[in-house]
Amino acid sequence: MNKLAKLFVTFISAITLALVSFTSSFAKVEGEYIVLGSAISLTGKYSSNGVHTQNGYNMAVDRINKMGGVEVQGKKYKFEIIYYDDESNPKRAAQLAERLIKQDGVHYMLGPYSSGLTKAIAPVTEKYKIPMVEANGASRSLFTKGYKYLFAVLSPANQYLEVAIDLAVEKNGGKGVKIAQAFEQDAFSQDVRLGILDAAKRTGSEIIIDDKLPKELNDMAATLAKVKAVKPDVLVVSGHTKGALTAIRQISEMKVDVPMLAMTHCDAAKLSKQHGKKSEFALCASQWHKNLSYKDKFFGSGKKYAKDFQKEFGYDPPYQSAESSAALLVFKDAFERANSFDRDAVRDALVDTEMQTFYGNIKFGPGGQNVAKPMILFQVRCKGDDCENRVVAPTKWASDKFYHPIPKWSERS
Amino acid sequence: MEKVKQKDLILYSGLIILGLAAPYLFSAFKVQLTYLCVLIVLAMTWNLQGGEMGYNTFGNILFYGLGMYLTASVQVGMFFPLAEWTESGGEKTFVHTTAQYFQGIGVGLLVSAIIPAIIAGAIGYAILGLRGHYFAICTLGLGIAAGEIAGGIEIIGAGQGFTTPPFPAEIVDTEARGKFFYFLSFALLVGTFVFVKYIYGSRFKLILNAIRDNEDKAEAMGIQTMKYKIVGWMCSAFFCGLAGGIMGGLIGYIDSTDVAFDGREMGVFMVLMAILGGKGTLWGPVIGATLFHFFKEGLWTLILGWQYVALGVLIVVIVVYFPEGLMGWLREKYPEKFGEVIDDKDRKAQVELK
Repeated sequence: MNKLAKLFVTFISAITLALVSFTSSFAKVEGEYIVLGSAISLTGKYSSNGVHTQNGYNMAVDRINKMGGVEVQGKKYKFEIIYYDDESNPKRAAQLAERLIKQDGVHYMLGPYSSGLTKAIAPVTEKYKIPMVEANGASRSLFTKGYKYLFAVLSPANQYLEVAIDLAVEKNGGKGVKIAQAFEQDAFSQDVRLGILDAAKRTGSEIIIDDKLPKELNDMAATLAKVKAVKPDVLVVSGHTKGALTAIRQISEMKVDVPMLAMTHCDAAKLSKQHGKKSEFALCASQWHKNLSYKDKFFGSGKKYAKDFQKEFGYDPPYQSAESSAALLVFKDAFERANSFDRDAVRDALVDTEMQTFYGNIKFGPGGQNVAKPMILFQVRCKGDDCENRVVAPTKWASDKFYHPIPKWSERS
Repeated sequence: MEKVKQKDLILYSGLIILGLAAPYLFSAFKVQLTYLCVLIVLAMTWNLQGGEMGYNTFGNILFYGLGMYLTASVQVGMFFPLAEWTESGGEKTFVHTTAQYFQGIGVGLLVSAIIPAIIAGAIGYAILGLRGHYFAICTLGLGIAAGEIAGGIEIIGAGQGFTTPPFPAEIVDTEARGKFFYFLSFALLVGTFVFVKYIYGSRFKLILNAIRDNEDKAEAMGIQTMKYKIVGWMCSAFFCGLAGGIMGGLIGYIDSTDVAFDGREMGVFMVLMAILGGKGTLWGPVIGATLFHFFKEGLWTLILGWQYVALGVLIVVIVVYFPEGLMGWLREKYPEKFGEVIDDKDRKAQVELK
């Protein structure tokens, strides 16, 4: 045992030394840099959206830094972000938030991707009184917990597809419609579902199929078979990127005829590129679209943002990227108005935020959600083989008329 | 109780002092240290089945997840209507007073130890008759099924997840929460270690080994193997449930498949850690878990995006070069340190024979 014990003692003391030398943490503001922290899903089921989010953050950091940075007390600072990979796992995200705050000394956080992960991180940031501007946690329950340091630039999840139901009812001559719905088992999609339930109640619509889809979904044939049998007026599907891709793939394979198909995450899934004509007529909820007429001095208009983003990353920005970029603009604005790095001063400045960005107006409600920006709906439309997303609601920005009902597969070329 | 050797005494008291001082020495690392304690507990309890009994279970995650949900549910349910707490959207928010919080978590942990143990007994009775791969696959199914089922039960939040009660706001010290969970998990670790060490000195362990080495012979010798297998599993479930309960409170948000019944991560990690350290040894899982945790925390972020590839390589390296784990490797190298007597003449004779 003697030698073994020695080995053990050596091992323990080595670890102790390593840890102690590690503990020296960074400052929130290092030289000319303001350090922000973020746990992002670079691997796992949210990895594609995690990368959209990260690209959005990076794009804004570059742009703000290039255009002079953030001015606090007469001195110019630049943004810098420390990223960790949360593996799309809430447990990991909470642990990393702790790590960013305690070990890396981060005093300001940017949100992760998805509602579930934001729900896991919010208690941590709240505990340490760290202001977090998040752009990808839309679940309504985030905004009813009384969090004081959480600010979301997006509209809550339950608003995503409510408008779609209203549209369907309108097309049905004001009478209630029959709704079939399938939602992934996660915080975000379940909140979208709640929105639909509310809308159904309000409009006197009837929900005839109410299915749950597993996480990591890649098959929803069972739901679609039911849809074929009972012929609802509207089919609602929500399950992040994979949900959108799976739905379109299987609807076209099974030739499911439904007059209206409402979804989320069409642009993040690049539906119009990946599935082309098969995805035509799909109606999608979005936080943002490049054709909206908002403007700011960093990115110009939505169209200009889209162009720059395309140049930088090689694809059209989904709204996940746009809202993430907007989060940085909010931080910059708050720092400058607070004119201080005091966390509470920054937090108070965030509360008073009222600004326009290329992404939309931003003003935080008492729960921290953005109350100044409506959701929009777009529809995938094709000319020949070239498909794109056209805004159809609300009417203020609609570039196209809403096409209803979706022609039957037998009539589609 | 056999007398503890003096050297061991020094080692143990040193470790306990280190454990107690750790949250003050490495204040910033409290959460990681808490994770470490929980990981060690999971690895040690897995080792009871996988290492000592020869039953490779992937089902221990079931008890971990159960413990998590049970603790949180009891903690909320004791004082407020649980359904309204978890209700979709969470319009209503209840606030625990300091006393309620600690009473709740105390009772919750008690429940989270007992119920998983009972369930382990019931399930064990049904499936511990299976052997080898059949048992492994069956338990793998248990964990996955539990995740899907939990994701459909509205009262515990279903797909929305379950936000556990926040640490009482009246305690202003931001370090208090970290310390509380650290000491809780450290106490659990010490408890588990003492228990497992006790088992290692008992006839019970020999019976488990007999089951591993040849179950039929053990049966033939008059050992009621089924009884011992079930009791063994219940012991593991007891500690796994507690570990889950502590983790639920620490993470603050329970998701059915990603946090609670997280077979893909925790479920695999506990097996990996035990094998890395050396299954079938007392210290193996402890060392394995510690190394694994350090590897994970230290390297993970340096190789963003590639961490699972690195993990894969690590698994291959372990399996190829240390099939018996680190302790097994040490044992082969320095058998005399493990109290094994080797007759040099005999060894030479064997070499000559070859």
